[in-house]
Amino acid sequence: MNENNPIPPQIPSPTDAAQRFAEKISESMPPPPPRPGPALLGDDPAERIPIPHIFAAIEALLRQPRRLLFQLRQPGAGKLIISMLCTTAICSLVYGVVAGTFSGGTQLWAAPVKIAAGLLISATICLPSLYIFTCLSGSQARLVEVCGLLAGLLMQMTILLVGFAPIAWIFSQSTESLAWMGILHLIFWFIATLFGVRFITRGFSHTNAKSHAGLNVWIIIFLLVAVQMTTALRPIIGKSDTFLPTQKQFFLGHWLDCLSQSAGGDKRNRGTE
Amino acid sequence: MRSESLNSSWLDIAPLLRGEVDLVARWSAGWDRRWLLFQIVIIIVGAGSYGAAMGWWRDPQQAFYVAIKFPLIILLTTFGNALLNAMLAPLLGLNSPFRQSFSAIVMSNTVTAVILGAFSPLIFFLAWNAPAMSASAVSGTAYNFILLTHVAVIALAGTAGNLRLLQLLTRLAPGPMIARRVLCAWLAGNFLLGSQLSWILRPFIGSPSLPVQFIRPDSLRGNFYETVFNTLRHLF
Repeated sequence: MNENNPIPPQIPSPTDAAQRFAEKISESMPPPPPRPGPALLGDDPAERIPIPHIFAAIEALLRQPRRLLFQLRQPGAGKLIISMLCTTAICSLVYGVVAGTFSGGTQLWAAPVKIAAGLLISATICLPSLYIFTCLSGSQARLVEVCGLLAGLLMQMTILLVGFAPIAWIFSQSTESLAWMGILHLIFWFIATLFGVRFITRGFSHTNAKSHAGLNVWIIIFLLVAVQMTTALRPIIGKSDTFLPTQKQFFLGHWLDCLSQSAGGDKRNRGTE
Repeated sequence: MRSESLNSSWLDIAPLLRGEVDLVARWSAGWDRRWLLFQIVIIIVGAGSYGAAMGWWRDPQQAFYVAIKFPLIILLTTFGNALLNAMLAPLLGLNSPFRQSFSAIVMSNTVTAVILGAFSPLIFFLAWNAPAMSASAVSGTAYNFILLTHVAVIALAGTAGNLRLLQLLTRLAPGPMIARRVLCAWLAGNFLLGSQLSWILRPFIGSPSLPVQFIRPDSLRGNFYETVFNTLRHLF
């Protein structure tokens, strides 16, 4: 019976038919609505390009922060984080030298050491609370990711401070008022911190956190710690006989003292801070 | 294509003044050293000749000093803030490379310098017609009139330069809001550094009771903002 037709006709299997039906249906359906919230990290192929060295990391931080955030989630991000922290240390040392030129002498090495150490110690002190607040917010971020976000904040801050360094230097050379220099450095630090905080907030929004309240509380804590650190490690721009202060003081009290000294005409007394 | 247009018109400053945004955007994207050098020369000549006119009223030597100092302030501000401005642009949403940010600011300063240069013969004429600088002239109408004229001309030149910069930024930025934000940030940084440099490099118009000097011996004592603050405090 089958001699005239040795090859039997192929009958489509039920699974093939179902697949084709599904394809037809999906073609006729409109595309799904875009997902609410920020696009997933790595959706853009440019974000998946690895960051080979620190200059690329700086470039990415300024121009493609999502690329840096994506790379901080990948295995082996520890290396990137370490290089970011090294950059932070170098940049804060550079800015510290500029801050130290106001008084000169021992402050040329003391100010950079204090600024770099103060920033890194502040970050270390605040890291556990950042991780806890991140977890409390329902975020899925691992500790290494949180470290990466903090390293990004520090790097963003310090590279901007290096950008401000020429202005700070000009003022350091042309004024004798400690209070004015203190205010100027605080303004630069505040602007740099604002951009750093923006980076960490952006990164935080990709960690599936249900709320930003915890992060906002942490930001206030970080600001207070960093400001208090400048008082705990004083003098940073002024001169002193000792490397560290002999008297404990809160930053508000210290600032008020400095301002009242300045208002009292003690402008040339750089040794009092 | 771009290099052709750059080569054919690198000595032509008119498109900058006219605000031909497409052409200027192409120039800013490129990094033609001749074009950059040409703009720096224009800044030196334009702002220098205005500075000379400004100092002429006091003394020809003062004119020579101010001819050096005026472009120096512009160039030092531009180079001193180059890194900061290049960092602020991408952070505020304008993803332009360092060269483009720098080039845009140099172009804006070039426009300002050209306008200042164009006004310098008028200022020379004004100084020539003014009574010789003396204690009575400084306290009289002539001094105030010359001072106000300088304020008006510098304000006009600065505004024109920044308007051209805003047009360029609007062309480069994804939205007008970002362009305005970047311009404001750049202006704030340049104002901060520029005003202090001007303070250090004073005098410009000069004073009949003080000698003609390149900079005052106390130029590195105190800063611009401190002085303004103290003046306001004494006033109120």
